[in-house]
Amino acid sequence: MSELINQISEALQSGKAKAVTELIEQALSENVSSKDILEKGLLAGMDIVADKFQKNEVYVPEVLIAARAMNAGTTLLKPHLAEAGAKPIGKAIIGTVKGDLHDIGKNLVRMMFEGKGIEVVDLGVDVSPEKFVEAYETEKPDVVALSALLTTTMGEMKNTVEAFTAAGIRDSVTIMIGGAPVTDSFRNSAGADIYTADAASAAEAAKQAILNK
Amino acid sequence: MMTGIERISNILNKKPVDRLGVYEHFWDGTYPEYRKDGKVGADESFEDHFGFDMQEGWPFNLTADLDFTVKIVAETDETVTTLDGNGAYLRRHKKRETTPEHVDFTVKTRRDWEEYKPFLVKPDERRINFERYRQSKEAARKANRFFTWSGVNVFECMHPIAGHEHMLAGMALDPGWILDMAETYANLTVALMEILFAREGKPDGLWFCEDMGFKERPFMSPAMYGELIFPSHKKTIDFARSLKLPVIMHSCGYVEPLLPKMIEAGINGYQTIEIKAGMDLLRIHKNYGDKIALLGGIDVRCLYSNDRDIIGAELKSKIPVVKDGFGYILSSDHSIPPTVRYDSFRYFLEKGLELGKY
Repeated sequence: MSELINQISEALQSGKAKAVTELIEQALSENVSSKDILEKGLLAGMDIVADKFQKNEVYVPEVLIAARAMNAGTTLLKPHLAEAGAKPIGKAIIGTVKGDLHDIGKNLVRMMFEGKGIEVVDLGVDVSPEKFVEAYETEKPDVVALSALLTTTMGEMKNTVEAFTAAGIRDSVTIMIGGAPVTDSFRNSAGADIYTADAASAAEAAKQAILNK
Repeated sequence: MMTGIERISNILNKKPVDRLGVYEHFWDGTYPEYRKDGKVGADESFEDHFGFDMQEGWPFNLTADLDFTVKIVAETDETVTTLDGNGAYLRRHKKRETTPEHVDFTVKTRRDWEEYKPFLVKPDERRINFERYRQSKEAARKANRFFTWSGVNVFECMHPIAGHEHMLAGMALDPGWILDMAETYANLTVALMEILFAREGKPDGLWFCEDMGFKERPFMSPAMYGELIFPSHKKTIDFARSLKLPVIMHSCGYVEPLLPKMIEAGINGYQTIEIKAGMDLLRIHKNYGDKIALLGGIDVRCLYSNDRDIIGAELKSKIPVVKDGFGYILSSDHSIPPTVRYDSFRYFLEKGLELGKY
């Protein structure tokens, strides 16, 4: 079993989506549990990719194809996981703040979050503080992650934090921020909880925030 | 006192000059802001007003299908989504200045690309705005400024047609496709430049725009750059070299790991040195200042402060070091937004050039 799981992890790390789905089908036919396939195969593989990304051993192309392979795998596994009662470790809503239409960094963070077993509700780009608050009310996430690429839009991060405060839900959620102009000192002034410099660190920080809740 | 053309030519060749060169880019919103109180005259160019040493001309249109009329596919009070001649669906803000959202791309794979490639093989003269080139060149010549043909190189040609995600995933999944796209755009660019320069004369140098990095990382590994992008960079730069034209390459983001290969490709100058992305002017100068000229690297966030002490301190911490070797052109690490007040920008130039005298 462990050999097959390792092969799934390795295929994911190489971004071989077809091989990942074929190996998962084989594992399922051999009665390997869907939870093991997810956690020890797919998520473990994405962990390695994220670690290599942080160390500059792989770059965005390799992360993208690994995430696509994981997506193919999780799509196949989804009904089996539901049947087994397996759940994500937590939930995050993510979006690029109002006035900002950039999505590459936000999409990378989404992929990395999913690679940590976090369910992600992607609100897209140009998301107003009100939309973030509405989404919180609907989704009840553990983490809200805000992205901005422009110095002219990063002020919306502060506005979003203030909207959560005004709605009386600020203490119910961990608010993370990131993007090209964002720094830890800005996080402090914006009143957010976590700033990370890259997508992989963001995913690890989100996971820890969820586990420590 | 040297002219702009003498100064920039010398700087790109690391030869002695009287002072630093000076050049800058501005966000679109800065132009009306600086003109609105008459500080910059309505008909006055920023190059003239601020005494820049360089001037650019952007004459090429590399949209794949020139006959395609841009279609509005969705519109709200705030945004408009269009389908363009690259098959790209882009959403733009109507009221804010920002790069567009990449909604979708027709070209996602090599097969999709094959549908668009034929548009880009023949150097159609409709892609060249001869008049714009002529006017910019003439304005530069009158003011003795260094004139660059400016345009995108292959990385910046590919993502408008395939989007960053498809292009970058393609680098890993189907490198031959990316190599083919890059080569097609490089060949087209060279062919168009041959037509333009034969008819209108050569510029003083080339300026290639290639945003290949983001925060703390290039988009691709140095190895992938070397395999897929470098050959086309070398091809376009070799063309410039054949005409004895120096080349400046612009890239936002953190591209330090790519610099050795960019230098091997033949660049004479590298512009931007974006501090908030993790670049460091002093480190780049120390490691590469003997090989190439540098432009930029002054943290534009200091200018945002509109505080002369902060701007002055930033300049004092960098200019005395980077002026060593005659290889530096004063500019910020990103374009100047309208939030930088006119007087702040003026002070930045005056203080920078005061420190940058030889």
